[in-house]
Amino acid sequence: MEVELTNLSKKFGDVVGVEALDLDIRDGEFVAFLGPSGCGKTTTLLMLAGIYRPTTGTIRFGDRIVNQLQPRDRNIGMVFQSYALYPHMTVFGNIAYPLKLKKVPRQEQQRRVEAAAETMGIAHLLDRRPGQLSGGQQQRVALGRALVKEPDILLFDEPLSNLDARLRLTMRGEIRSLQKRLGITAIYVTHDQVEALTMADRIAVMNLGRLQAFATPDDLYERPPTKFIAGFVGNPPMNFLEIEFAQENGAMQLRSESLELGLPPEFAAAAAAADGAVTFGIRPEDISLDDYGPVSGEVFVVEPLGRDDLLDIIVGTEHFLLLADPKRKSRAGDRVRLSFDMTRAHFFDPRSELALSWK
Amino acid sequence: MTAYGFMAPAGLLVLLFFFLPVLIVLYLSLTNLASANFTSNLAEMEFIGLRNFQTLLNDQFAKKIFFNTIFYVLSTLALFNVTAALIVSLLTAHINRRAGFIFRALWILPRITTSTVYILIWRRMMAEAPFGIINQVNTALGWPTWNYGSENPWVFVILVNGFIGISFGMIIFTSAIESIPKDLMNASLVDGSSYLQRIRHVTLPLLRWPLLFVVTYQSLSLLTSFEQILLLTDGGPGLYRTEVWALTAFHRALSNYFGNTQWGYGSAFAVVLVIIGVVLAVVYMRVFRFDELVAEPRIEVL
Amino acid sequence: MAAAGALTNINTDSMSGRLLLALRNGLLAALAMALLAFLFHSLLRPMIGSALVEETLTITLSRLFLVLLPIAAYLAAGTAVRNMEERHKALILALVAVTAVYALVVGAQALLGAGPFAPRPSLQFSARQTDEGILVEALEAGGAAELAGLQPGDIITAIRRDQVTLTELNQRVGLAEEDDPFRLRYIRNGEQDQLTVRAVLQTGVDNSAIVTGLVIALVIASLSIYWPGRTLPYILLAVSLLPMVVGYLWLIIATFSYRTRGILPLDGAGNIGGLTIENWGFLLGEDIAGLEFSIWQVTLNSFLLAVLMTAVVLLVSSMAGYALSRMSFAGRKFFLSFTLILHGFPAVTLLIPIFFILLNLGNLPLIGQLIGFNTLGGIALVMVAFDLPLGIWLMKGFFDHIPWDMERSALIDGASRWRVYREIVLPQIRPGLLALGIFAFIGGWNAFLIPQTYSIGAGTVNLPVFLNELIDETAPVDWNQVAAVGLFQLIPIFIFFVFAQEYLLNIYAGGTKGSS
Ligand SMILES: Nc1ncnc2c1ncn2[C@@H]1O[C@H](COP(=O)(O)OP(=O)(O)O)[C@@H](O)[C@H]1O
Ligand SMILES: [Mg+2]
Repeated sequence: MEVELTNLSKKFGDVVGVEALDLDIRDGEFVAFLGPSGCGKTTTLLMLAGIYRPTTGTIRFGDRIVNQLQPRDRNIGMVFQSYALYPHMTVFGNIAYPLKLKKVPRQEQQRRVEAAAETMGIAHLLDRRPGQLSGGQQQRVALGRALVKEPDILLFDEPLSNLDARLRLTMRGEIRSLQKRLGITAIYVTHDQVEALTMADRIAVMNLGRLQAFATPDDLYERPPTKFIAGFVGNPPMNFLEIEFAQENGAMQLRSESLELGLPPEFAAAAAAADGAVTFGIRPEDISLDDYGPVSGEVFVVEPLGRDDLLDIIVGTEHFLLLADPKRKSRAGDRVRLSFDMTRAHFFDPRSELALSWK
Repeated sequence: MTAYGFMAPAGLLVLLFFFLPVLIVLYLSLTNLASANFTSNLAEMEFIGLRNFQTLLNDQFAKKIFFNTIFYVLSTLALFNVTAALIVSLLTAHINRRAGFIFRALWILPRITTSTVYILIWRRMMAEAPFGIINQVNTALGWPTWNYGSENPWVFVILVNGFIGISFGMIIFTSAIESIPKDLMNASLVDGSSYLQRIRHVTLPLLRWPLLFVVTYQSLSLLTSFEQILLLTDGGPGLYRTEVWALTAFHRALSNYFGNTQWGYGSAFAVVLVIIGVVLAVVYMRVFRFDELVAEPRIEVL
Repeated sequence: MAAAGALTNINTDSMSGRLLLALRNGLLAALAMALLAFLFHSLLRPMIGSALVEETLTITLSRLFLVLLPIAAYLAAGTAVRNMEERHKALILALVAVTAVYALVVGAQALLGAGPFAPRPSLQFSARQTDEGILVEALEAGGAAELAGLQPGDIITAIRRDQVTLTELNQRVGLAEEDDPFRLRYIRNGEQDQLTVRAVLQTGVDNSAIVTGLVIALVIASLSIYWPGRTLPYILLAVSLLPMVVGYLWLIIATFSYRTRGILPLDGAGNIGGLTIENWGFLLGEDIAGLEFSIWQVTLNSFLLAVLMTAVVLLVSSMAGYALSRMSFAGRKFFLSFTLILHGFPAVTLLIPIFFILLNLGNLPLIGQLIGFNTLGGIALVMVAFDLPLGIWLMKGFFDHIPWDMERSALIDGASRWRVYREIVLPQIRPGLLALGIFAFIGGWNAFLIPQTYSIGAGTVNLPVFLNELIDETAPVDWNQVAAVGLFQLIPIFIFFVFAQEYLLNIYAGGTKGSS
């Protein structure tokens, strides 16, 4: 089922929940809504489900405008962060509830509930009550209940954030493969970018009720359209630096108080045309420790992450984050030299924060 | 529409038994409806303006009843509904939890005993010698016996209502006392303050709002309830000795004791209480910030 | 100011400081009690006395405070030093302080002419009890008895027609006011005769009262030192509940007795004993003298009323509470504040106009037979309406605590609002329903005023109304029979009391504070 949101807004009195959201979601696509807490992700989802009424705009499922449709007429399955299982019903009762409401015959109910439970690996729990289940099991029941009625669209509202890290990893994979297998359009709300980047076909990044970008994970990572996205997507986050361009010996350079770096030729022409300050961005993995590098600095903090060490390095008055091999046994106070992979540099307009796409 | 469907039964009942009655009682108080010209059809009643209220102002007995009422409300409130309730909740809060709970539970017995049985018990308590229980004690101690019903009716009117009234304040105060942070109590224990000092300096200041609430809420209850007095003394003995305002309204309009029921005049008495009730009810809502409890719902379908 | 400072900042480390503290507390307590007595006796009484209100109560109360005055004072003085380490020193301090407080109290009484210094009514003769009657021994010269013509050797037998003993005579005189007449029957030289003595107020100091008072004061002070403080609350609580306990005890004893004197069952000969189960005969269908109702019809009415009321209160308040808690609709705010206002509004003031509403509802075709005047349905509806403000508010509070997501989930699963309410939300507020249900059931089962006011026939009489008729309409009242019916009515209440105290305590407070 395709989903199209046009100029969708939701205001709660003076509080803006979502503002002027335009989004096209393809049939069978897995879309993640990514953004910090309070940016309007849940609000959007609840409008899709029919729980909130949009202040303005339209919601289209396939070729039907569903604004006026009751939640029960939208054929949606939704999984909540709190699971929202019905504590007074058994697991069977919970999963069967949507079917019961659809007046599906008893035997058919039985069959479909068992099938869903089988898929979710909870067939042995059907007689229990939610209170007797672990968090992961409850999550599977909630998923089973959302799937059993064969919805056109699946909505997830931070479904994994109450689980421990390991379980989150397995559930991520399961949800993703299930969705691919069933081919159901899925919208998945999360504030965890790793979740969004690993699961989604496309990611809608939101901030302060507005859509910042809607693109594939690769695009968002490689070609962030705004400074907000560049900083939000990627962990550890991108380094930013206010710079100006300068010409020396016919070669373009970028310059700040603390450092000077040469620019690869593909940027040079455009940079020559830029006037005034520009925000320069570079991801930690694109800076490396290199004994012959052009820039010198001092290790300020070392934060071991296991596979890598996260180093905070001072260059002049600027701080740069970068990842280093733990075998180097870097320590605070070490003098180091850095080299920058300038082919992967990003530039942004400091006022509009839009990317200056020069490549 | 569904929301209104959910509200409809309650709305209808409120309309029928609160809203309309307030209007009707106002209207009745402006008519001379009595048993002689009785009709249940509002349109046929004879409108006489404010004459009932003029009569009321000049009524010798109304004056006595007015002071009776003030006296009754103030005494019962001061002695039982507030003071005794506060003492009981302080005492039960500072003894063993389970025991305190049992004592408090016992105090609600008068409230959940039906009024006729409750009054039956009290009537046997205060009966003359040799039947009455109190007089039996008097006799055993060699004290004089009394005919309490005729000699001291007020004592018992107040006792009877007071024993019921204790539980309301007791519950409110107790929950307030229990919500006092333990740290505060412990801190004052460390200070070495005595039991009475702790009550004086820690507990009582924190009970200010509950106290105000109990005082206002219970004075309105006492002002308007009359069931126990009706059963215990029926306003007697003699003419209006323990009659209170609310009971007069009932007597005049609903209990044809003298054969002549005066709906109009009785309603004039009731109107006074209705107006006090409406005003105080609105005041409570403002003063006790009831309206702040109102939050917006988070589902908008339908 | 300095004096006030000295009073509040007493250094309690030294012995003299302690003594001062004990003295201060004792005097403050005495002063407080005296003030209360004064308030009731001299301020409230004239104020309401002039308006024809009962005086006996204020006088009784002011006397009560005067009786409590010394006790409070000595307790306060004693407890002020009780937490001293050395008990015997504390005792000495307490005794000294109490003696001082006592001296001050007696001094004040002497100044005011109160207590042992108050004039006492007297007939001014001395006598002793003999087998024939009260033998007059001596007369005060010029006193009331001598003036009336009483002579030594007379034997007083009665006041008017009432036989008296010396104790009774003294009691009566003690309660008399100045100039009250006592018509005494006496035997002089074998002849019966009578004369009237008028009581006079005799001044003079009751020395024995002063000494007794001091002894009591010292005993209280010693007790306040040695009495374990932890049991005091228990004793106070138990004593204050005593009237209730004795009353319910009487009810139970009376139902199994032919007759009772006070709380004691008596047999035909006037001895303690004579238990019976005859009073419970009505359960087997025996008629109760003078009443035409069958007890089972009445019980059924009570039960129907209670069940009907419980069901309707639960349904209507939970529906409205749900809408107010969970739905957005125009007028929601208005309904909410309206419910709150109703909650504070005394519904009983509307009994008169509701009579007319019921009369008119009775005129409606068809349903008039169900909910009009003098129908169980009408009575139940009125009572439901009166309970609604509390019920709705309570239910709303419980609904407020249900997670929104659960309800959203049910809506998305395909439920209508009604089914969400019925199948998802209601099952989760069972404790609330139980509490409100118990409250409503007790209300319906106990209903007296409304059934009494709005019913006249056997078809609507419930147990409380029946009980009232039993007391009002039969003469002489068979109190033991009445007690049996009363206890019968009370049984379900006792059961609720034993098994649902927690709910009961909560509901009687919960209604005013939202939920929980
Ligand atoms: N029912 C509501 N009433 C008022 N404000 C709301 C409501 N729901 C959400 N909001 C506000 O709208 C904004 C977006 O909330 P939400 O969609 O829940 O954010 P999130 O992206 O964390 O899911 C927040 O500022 C929130 O406070
Ligand atoms: Mg959210």
